Amino acid sequence: MTTETLAPDDRAGWLGSLCQPARETLALSRRAVLGTIRLPQAWVPSIFFPLVLMAIFSGSFGQAPGNIPGFPEVASFLDFAVAGAVIQGILIGGTTAGSAFAIDIERGFFDRLVASPARRGSIVAGRVMGSVALGVVGALLFIGIAAIFGARVAGGFAGILLVLLMAGILAAAVGGLGIYLALRSGSSEAVQGTFPLFFALLFFSSAFFPRETMDGWFRVVADLNPISYLAEGMRAPIVDGLDWPTILIGIAIAIGLAVISLAAAAVAFRRRLGAG
Amino acid sequence: MSAAVQATRLERRFKGGILAVAGVDLEVADGEVYGFLGPNGAGKSTTVRMLTTLLRPTGGSAAVAGHDVVSAASAVRRSIGVALQDASIDPYMTGRELLHLQATLHGISRRDVKPRATALLEQVGLSDAGDRRVGTYSGGMRRRLDLALALVHRPTVLFLDEPTTGLDPTSRLALWDEVRRLNGEGTTVFLTTQYLEEADQLADRVGIIDDGRIVAEGTPGALKAEVGDPTLSVTLTEPADADAALVALSAYESSVPTKAGCIALRLPRGSEEVAAVIRILDGADIGVSGLDLSMPSLDDVFVEKTGRRLEGEGEGEEAPLVAEPS
Repeated sequence: MTTETLAPDDRAGWLGSLCQPARETLALSRRAVLGTIRLPQAWVPSIFFPLVLMAIFSGSFGQAPGNIPGFPEVASFLDFAVAGAVIQGILIGGTTAGSAFAIDIERGFFDRLVASPARRGSIVAGRVMGSVALGVVGALLFIGIAAIFGARVAGGFAGILLVLLMAGILAAAVGGLGIYLALRSGSSEAVQGTFPLFFALLFFSSAFFPRETMDGWFRVVADLNPISYLAEGMRAPIVDGLDWPTILIGIAIAIGLAVISLAAAAVAFRRRLGAG
Repeated sequence: MSAAVQATRLERRFKGGILAVAGVDLEVADGEVYGFLGPNGAGKSTTVRMLTTLLRPTGGSAAVAGHDVVSAASAVRRSIGVALQDASIDPYMTGRELLHLQATLHGISRRDVKPRATALLEQVGLSDAGDRRVGTYSGGMRRRLDLALALVHRPTVLFLDEPTTGLDPTSRLALWDEVRRLNGEGTTVFLTTQYLEEADQLADRVGIIDDGRIVAEGTPGALKAEVGDPTLSVTLTEPADADAALVALSAYESSVPTKAGCIALRLPRGSEEVAAVIRILDGADIGVSGLDLSMPSLDDVFVEKTGRRLEGEGEGEEAPLVAEPS
């Protein structure tokens, strides 16, 4: 043979074999992040809509704390609304990530990745890590904007880190869900059409109002909805400080959701390649 | 070194029992350009997807660059470059960023990634456009970037799926030159195309697939010779001489003339016999105002073997290089 294959010398040795998956994942997550921030229509909604909701709720229910029976004592409703905004932003980000993955399948970029020696895990992990990065930055942005308008994080610096940790894990879970839907349907419309169901899950939770203020069937749904515990876990470091039991339940829920959605994405990946 | 691509009774059955590829045998030698033709839905792209490890065969076996496409899929992926016709390129990334990504996915060492991208941009003539977003590229530029992406790891076997579909003639010629150059360096090229002229220009051998089976294979010349003889059509100065001319040329088999005042002859030995025909007509005092020798084309081969014309052929084709004699 007259041409020789370019020696992939980073692969040589055990260090190389550890590095290559990380390099692939990083390169693909960079593409996922660039693909979002270079397209304003991809990231503006995930910032804009949660902010609007935060503003409306703070304006309408600013007097709720102390006046609505059952509402916990908080410095302002704004403190209370930050966690809901973070979760909502991550859900919108997941729609974007899922439909971007579906577009890769529709337009053949996915084939290009699959025909390259990149590890199958890196292809999913790259997209998920992109979602995690964007989710954490988004959470930081919401905390920052709320702080400008007077919100305070009771848990201090550690509290902020805990919120970011939960935001990151949740972003991985939602990103995995988007990828799962993309792999099963192969259609960006299908992904975008399915995500509103998960927004319903958000609104039937305690993301925007405490469960103590709810009644009847709504309370039952919110009690059963894992998003409630996640929202409460994320809200605790902002509103109450380091309330560990609530925080740990929130983290556990986020990890559980991430494990389920990433496992589903991995199975869907195998199925798609097998059936082709 | 053995074959670059070898398939034995390769088969793919889809859900619902449709047999898209029904036992294909292929052998492409190292350093060859193999033209793979077939009407849409004939099993062409299914075959290519199996050879490039994108789809698992349901029967038979195939090896590319000496590696089995199923049991050694990742070795195959390291040896092949793939430019699929419908593979999009991110419009929001620059050409250079995409080359860096592709090089990283192929495990090219960190210090080689940037020089390799620069060299490839240069090679395909995109040095000036490398830092622009792909969204601003023309169709020809995208194809050239696509080719560069397939070449980052210096593949030994290059799969090109309809590399010039939709390109203007100038871009097409430039891409052909690049394919010839790569082949000259020893790269085996597996080319699928809708343009028979492209196969004729580039391919050492051509295979035609129809209904999931290879129906014809050989060099373009041999396939054309198999289909029929070259035809000479002679336009006479005096249309009334046509009958006299056919009598004088009764040694040749005549075929149906295309228009009045013309005669058409089959010449088994091609252009060698043109002079003899002219001498006979001259001896019979019959004036000639035009000559047109037409060789059987791959198009004729295709029609004969599949009973269909190749889709896409004819649309957007450039004008014939030689004007018809009037």
